[in-house]
Amino acid sequence: MAFLEAHNLHKTYRLTRSNHVRAMRGVDVTVEAGEMVGIMGPSGCGKSTLMHILGLLHAPDLDAAPPPSLAIDGLDVTTLTDRKRTQMRAERMGFVFQAFNLVSTLTTVENVALPAEYAGRRRRDALAAALEALRLVGLEDWAEHRPMELSGGQQQRAAIARALVTQPDLLLADEPTGNLDSENTAEVMALLHWFNRERGQTIVLVTHDTRVSEACSRVLTMQDGVIINGRQTEVA
Amino acid sequence: MLRTLMRRKLRTLLTVLGITVGIWALMVMGAMANKLTALVDGGSSYFDNKIVVTDATNPAFGFGNVPMPVEVVERVGRIPDIAVAAARVSFLLDPDNTGSGFSAPDFVIGFRAGFDQGYETFRSELAQGRYTTLEDEGRRVVLLGADLARKFDAGPGDAFSIHGEEFEVIGVLEPLLMFFDTTAIIPWTAAQELLVQNEALEFEGGTDIPVLTSMVIAYPEPGADFRAIMRDIGEALPQTRTVTGEDFDDQFGSTIAIFNAIILSVALISIVVGGLSVINTMTMSVAERTREIGIKRAIGASRGLIMRELVLEAGLMGFIGGLVGLGLAALVVYSANDAGKTSGTVLFLLTPWIGTLGVAFSTLLGAVAGALPAWNAARLDPVEALRYG
Ligand SMILES: Nc1ncnc2c1ncn2[C@@H]1O[C@H](COP(=O)(O)OP(=O)(O)OP(=O)(O)O)[C@@H](O)[C@H]1O
Ligand SMILES: [Mg+2]
Repeated sequence: MAFLEAHNLHKTYRLTRSNHVRAMRGVDVTVEAGEMVGIMGPSGCGKSTLMHILGLLHAPDLDAAPPPSLAIDGLDVTTLTDRKRTQMRAERMGFVFQAFNLVSTLTTVENVALPAEYAGRRRRDALAAALEALRLVGLEDWAEHRPMELSGGQQQRAAIARALVTQPDLLLADEPTGNLDSENTAEVMALLHWFNRERGQTIVLVTHDTRVSEACSRVLTMQDGVIINGRQTEVA
Repeated sequence: MLRTLMRRKLRTLLTVLGITVGIWALMVMGAMANKLTALVDGGSSYFDNKIVVTDATNPAFGFGNVPMPVEVVERVGRIPDIAVAAARVSFLLDPDNTGSGFSAPDFVIGFRAGFDQGYETFRSELAQGRYTTLEDEGRRVVLLGADLARKFDAGPGDAFSIHGEEFEVIGVLEPLLMFFDTTAIIPWTAAQELLVQNEALEFEGGTDIPVLTSMVIAYPEPGADFRAIMRDIGEALPQTRTVTGEDFDDQFGSTIAIFNAIILSVALISIVVGGLSVINTMTMSVAERTREIGIKRAIGASRGLIMRELVLEAGLMGFIGGLVGLGLAALVVYSANDAGKTSGTVLFLLTPWIGTLGVAFSTLLGAVAGALPAWNAARLDPVEALRYG
């Protein structure tokens, strides 16, 4: 069984009683442990929606036929309670967003330590793990600075450190380079690539940038809420 | 957490100020009520085991004691079930000062030491010096209540003037939180002389003034029916009025009840005002931090944790407000008591208990008021929250 297996995922946003948006119309995905999967496709095709479901932030439509299924590491997570999904997010997942989404009142190292604290580590241990993660992304000198004092590229590297501080099974990144110039894009991608290759980190990322998708071991293309093809690249 | 409060200094300050004012008012009123209740309790427990007989023209517990011939004492003593009846002289220290507002006026009372023959259960304690004894009869000595000693800054050995006559202070009582605090106790003979002097002035130089007493203190036998005895006294001596501890409660208890109702209203108003301002601040704070809450939820913060953070923050505002309110109240109470010292009017009694209760109350108020916005924040859809702002 693959690390992540999803079948027949649908997502309908109900705006009003009569106005529905069918953002996903039957998506099947499988991700093997250690893969780095890119998801591409035009704006509004449902990429973020898929990421929210894979990241257990939203549940797929349960009334789809045949019924949807989502399994992570052999565990059926289709109908978990909010509490259990939150716990899974804290312990087994890392998130990187397009807008770096660091908490402005906390220092960089406190930001990076958050998921470890949510996963139940003691504050001192969490901060130690955070410092180590910051070292891996080359920001150990910025630990005590506020996010505002960091450049965009640095903030995104801090966000990657935060996503990886708990050594999660799965890293989900929704357009992680969308707000970065080409130099910082290259740096962030090199970092993600390094984690994937050297640490075996499983990554699923959404991008519009073909240079980004080229770093992926496999690229899925979405259109109108379905995956239309999968390209297997040769892993060098 | 303190940091997030600091970030929105002005708003937090205003909220804390709102709580502060409420708690401040609550504590000042509470201190006042406390003192009053103590006064009434003290008076009530003093009158509990005795029946006081005065001339019928006196108001109950009134201050303008019209004297009676001393034979009344004997006649009261003959009533069945009365163990001891003794004469007591009582008049105002300063005839022009009948007391202001909530405080008892300064009194002079005179009696023979040991008149109660062991029936008195109300206990006083000496701060300095000694009590009056039978040997003091014929001497001009005085035992001062705590407030009176403080007001005149007098202690043992000092001279103390009563109606132009000089008395020597022989002792000072500990504060008792009842009218003894503002009372000067002198021997019976000296009191009798002063009383006659007073009355003589009023009766235009009358010469054959009998031995007078202002009141009769009667101790019934233990277990006796006070009301029945008071009825008997009323029948035997129709020109008298009798009161006991229960009457004291009836008369002053209602004042206290009104006062407590005022305190309760202030408490309610401060709950509403303080609570609403905390709700308002926390709602704004949550709205402002929607995105931050979304981030935290997305990366694994539980609903409980989000809620706990916000409730603690609101509780902290309440706590700080309460603490500052307590500080201000203490300032007011102590400076007012200090200013009142010269006139002997100590209005407030701020106990650690009131302080602790007030701060605990405002902390709880903050936390409870913060709970609703916090609950709303904890239920946000993280994806929606992340999209925000
Ligand atoms: N909360 C929502 N309520 C209503 N409609 C939504 C909601 N979220 C997404 N949609 C709609 O669902 C569809 C898919 O949105 P989604 O954000 O998944 O697209 P995307 O592929 O990530 O687009 P982009 O490349 O612009 O980020 C869009 O039509 C969008 O308008
Ligand atoms: Mg998107």
